[in-house]
Amino acid sequence: MAQPIIEFKHVAKQYDDNVVLKSVDLEIEAGKFYTLLGPSGSGKTTILRLIAGFLEATSGDILFEGQKINDLPPEKRRVNTVFQNYALFPNMNVFENVAFGMSIKGKGKSEIKAKVTEMLGLVKLSGLEDREISELSGGQQQRVAIARALANDPEVLLLDEPLSALDYKLRKEMQYELREIQKRLGITFIFVTHDQEEALAMSDWIFVTNEGEIVQNGTPVDIYDAPINHFVADFIGESNILPGVMRKDYLVAFAGKEFENVDGGMRPNEQVEVVLRPEDLDLVSADEGKLIVTIDDQSFRGDYYEITAHDDDQNEWQIQATNPAIIGERRGLFFDPEDIHIMRLNESEEDFDARMEEYDDTEEEGTMNES
Amino acid sequence: MNHKNTLSYTIPYILWLGLFVIAPVILLIIQSFGNINGHFTLNNYVTYFSSGTYLRMTFNSIFFAFIVTAMTLLISYPMAYIMSRLKHAQFWLLLVILPTWVNLLLKAYAFIGLFSKTGTINEFLSLIGFAPHQMMFTNMSFLIVAAYIEIPFMIMPIFNSLVELDRSYINAARDLGATQWQTLVKVIFPLSTGGVKAGIQAVFIPTLSLFMITRLIGGNRVITLGTAIEEHFLVTQNWGMGSTIGVVLIVAMILTMMLTRDRKKKGGKHGK
Amino acid sequence: MVNKHKKWANVYLVLVFILMYAPIFYLIFYSFNKGDYMAGFSGFSWRHYIDMFADTRLMQMLVNTFIVALLSALIATLIGLFGAIGIYNTKQTGVKNILLSLNNVLMVSPDVIIGASFLIFFTMVGLKLGFGSVVLAHIAFSIPIVVLMVLPRLNEMNPALIDAARDLGANNYQVLSRVVLPYAWPGILSGFFMAITYSLDDFAVTFFVTGNGFSTLSVEIYSRARQGIDLSINAMSALMFLLSLILVVIYYFISNYSAASSKKKKGTRMVVH
Repeated sequence: MAQPIIEFKHVAKQYDDNVVLKSVDLEIEAGKFYTLLGPSGSGKTTILRLIAGFLEATSGDILFEGQKINDLPPEKRRVNTVFQNYALFPNMNVFENVAFGMSIKGKGKSEIKAKVTEMLGLVKLSGLEDREISELSGGQQQRVAIARALANDPEVLLLDEPLSALDYKLRKEMQYELREIQKRLGITFIFVTHDQEEALAMSDWIFVTNEGEIVQNGTPVDIYDAPINHFVADFIGESNILPGVMRKDYLVAFAGKEFENVDGGMRPNEQVEVVLRPEDLDLVSADEGKLIVTIDDQSFRGDYYEITAHDDDQNEWQIQATNPAIIGERRGLFFDPEDIHIMRLNESEEDFDARMEEYDDTEEEGTMNES
Repeated sequence: MNHKNTLSYTIPYILWLGLFVIAPVILLIIQSFGNINGHFTLNNYVTYFSSGTYLRMTFNSIFFAFIVTAMTLLISYPMAYIMSRLKHAQFWLLLVILPTWVNLLLKAYAFIGLFSKTGTINEFLSLIGFAPHQMMFTNMSFLIVAAYIEIPFMIMPIFNSLVELDRSYINAARDLGATQWQTLVKVIFPLSTGGVKAGIQAVFIPTLSLFMITRLIGGNRVITLGTAIEEHFLVTQNWGMGSTIGVVLIVAMILTMMLTRDRKKKGGKHGK
Repeated sequence: MVNKHKKWANVYLVLVFILMYAPIFYLIFYSFNKGDYMAGFSGFSWRHYIDMFADTRLMQMLVNTFIVALLSALIATLIGLFGAIGIYNTKQTGVKNILLSLNNVLMVSPDVIIGASFLIFFTMVGLKLGFGSVVLAHIAFSIPIVVLMVLPRLNEMNPALIDAARDLGANNYQVLSRVVLPYAWPGILSGFFMAITYSLDDFAVTFFVTGNGFSTLSVEIYSRARQGIDLSINAMSALMFLLSLILVVIYYFISNYSAASSKKKKGTRMVVH
C-alpha cells in the first residue's frame, strides 16, 4: 500500500477535563474524497482543525507524508481549509481574497492574476473578480472560499461543513460540483458534515465519529448496509432496530419469531440488535407476511409513502412503500434473509471487520446458490 | 495569534493599568491616612465623621445630585421616548449628543451671561415688569446649570434602551387590549429600566463631583464633594483631607453603581 | 386623538431642543456684539474675534490645547489598540472580565478623583507638573475609550478570519496588518476621534495636574470666567463649537461606514463623558 498522506496515531485532544477526542487512529490516502460524518460535538471538526494546525494534539502523532507535523504552524502546512461560514475577508474583493495566499508568499503579479482567473473559472465565477464580498450570494461566497483555498495548490483540502448554510437545491448542486472539482484536480478532500445524505452521496470513504471516537469507517455502501452498532444504524438513514437473539449461525429470533438470515460468527443465543431498513420492507397480504403488523399512520413523501405500524409484540415499524395503506388494517410484512443486518453489542471495529470479511464471502455464495 | 508576540505589544497597556489605574487609587487611599506632614493618622476620617461642616456638605452634595438626577430624568424620559419613535431617530440622537461636545466650561460660561444682574434673563424680567433678581450664586442657578449639562447623558442611555426594544412587544400589548398609556406603563417602562439605571449612573456620580460649576455659578454657596476635594488639594494644600473626601466620593460612586446595577446582565450571558 | 398626542410630542421635542441649544447659540450670538457684555446687543462687529486672534496668550493656549489633544490621542490610540487586541486574545473569561473592569475604572471615575489621584502620583514619582504631566494624564484617561471603541469591532470579527489567514500562509505580523487592523480600522478611527474630544473637553483633570508654567484653553477660560464676562471667550466658544461640529460630522461618517460594513445596523452609538 502507498504511504498515506495523512496519518493519526493515537491522537487525543482535551481541554482541562473535557476530552473531545479519545485516541483516534486514521489513515488518509492521497487523491480520494473522505468524509468525517457525525453529530455536532462528536469530534469531527476537532480532527479537521488538528490537520489544519489550528489545534494542538494533547497526545499522539499527526503525520503528513510520513513526517510528524504536530508542531508545524498552519501557515507552513500544505493543507488549506474552506471554512464553515467561508471566512472571506470583508475588506477585500473577490480577486484579493483569492489572491491572498499567493500575495503573502510574494508571488509575481502576472502569476497571481493567471491563477486567480483559473481558480474562478474552476468554481464558475469568471468575471466576478471586482465584486465586493457583501455583494455576493451565499452560493457565490461559497465558491470564492473554495477558489481561495485551492489557489494555494494544497495537497489536501479541508472542508468544514461548507454547505450547511446553503438551501437544499444549491446544496445538491454544490455536492456534485465539489466531487467534480476533486476528481479533476486529483487532490485529497476531507469533508466534514453532519448530513448523512451528503456523506453518502459524495464520499469515497466515510469516517463516522461519535463522542470523540471514530466508530466506523468504510465505503458509503458498507456503512449503510452494515452499520456496526445502534448509533451508526440510527444516524445513517432511517432504520428499524429491534432487540434479538442469535440462535445459531444464520438463524435469528426477534419480534417473537425466528428468521433465516446471512450473518454468523457469534456465540449461540447471543443477545444482538437487528436492523431492517424501511425501504427493504414490503407490505403484503397477511397470510404471505413473515410478520403481521397493524398500520398506525402514513404520510405521503412524494416518491413513496412513509408508513408506521406495530406488530403483535408492540414493536414500532417504519416502512417505505410505493402504494398507500389503510390505517387500522392488518397486513403482512415481508423481507429477505439478506435484508436482516445483525449488530453485536459493543463489538470493536476490528472484530466487526474481520467477521464481515468472513461472512461476506459466504453470503455471496449463499445468494448464488439460491438463484 | 501567537501569545508571546501579543504579550509584548500589550506591555504599554499593562503598564498603563498598573501606573494610571491601580497605583493612583492606592496612593489616594494611602494619602487619606496621612496628615500634612505625611505621617500615618486616622485623624482625617475622625475629623470628617465628627465635623458638622463635612457631614452637612456631604449630605448637601448628595441631596443636590439627587435633585439634579430627578430633574433630568423627568425631562429626559419623555424626550427619549418621543425621539425613539421618530423616523430619523439616529439623527435626533446626534442632535442630543452635539452639545456634549461643546466644552463644559463654555456652557457654564453662557449661564454667567444669562443669569448675571444685567444679564439677558433679568433684562427680560424687567421688560415684563419684574424687578431684577439676583440669580447668580444661588442654589437654583446651580441646579439649573447642572441639570442642563447632564440632560444629554440621561437621554442617551434611555433612548438606546427604547430603540432596542422590540416593536412586537408594543404591538402585542396593544393587540391584547392595552391602551397606549397602559402599554407605556406596563410594558415599555419596565423594559427600559436598564437605560434609566444607566442614565442615573451617568448623571448622579458626575454631579456629586462637579466643582467648577459650583465655583462659577453657585458662588461657593453649594459645596459638592468635588468642590471640597479641589479646595483641599489646590487651595488649602491639605491633601490628606482631600484624599479622605475622595475616598468618600469613591465609596458613594461604588454604592450608586451597585444600586443601579442591571440585574438582568448579572444572570449570565445576555444578548448575543 | 393620536394626532393630538403627536402634536404635543413634537412641541415637547422642539422645546427641549431649544433649551439645549439656546445657551450655546446665545454665547455665539453675543460674540458678534459691538458692546462688551452678554446683554443688550448693540450691533454687529468682528472686534471680539480680532481681539481674540490678537491675544497672544489665548492663541498660545489654543496651540497648547491642540498639541496636547493630538499627541495624547495618537499615543492613547496606539496603546489602547494593542490593549484591545490583548484583551481580545485573552482566553480565560475571569482574567478577561478583570481586565475589562480595570479598563473601565477611569471611564466611570469622577474627574476630580482622576485629577487628584494623578496629582498625588506625579508628585510621588517626582514628575515636574507642566506639559509632560498634562499629556500623560490625557493619554491615561483616553486609553479606555479607545479600547471600548476597538474591542467591539474585534469581537464582531469572525475568528475564522484569523484562521483563514494563517491557513493561507500569513504569519503573525501579516495576520495583524492585512486582516485584523483593516477590519478594526473604523473602530480605531472612532477611538482616535473620541480621544481627541476627551482631551479637548477636559478641564478638571488638567486643572489638577497643570502646575504653573503650562496651561490649556479650558483652564484659561476658567480663570477668565471667574473674573467675569470677556467676549473674546465668546468668540473662542463660537470657534470651538464649529470645531465640535466638524468632529461630530467626521465621527458620524466613520461610525456609519462601520455600521454599514458590519451589516448589523447599530447606528451611531457614541460614548461620551
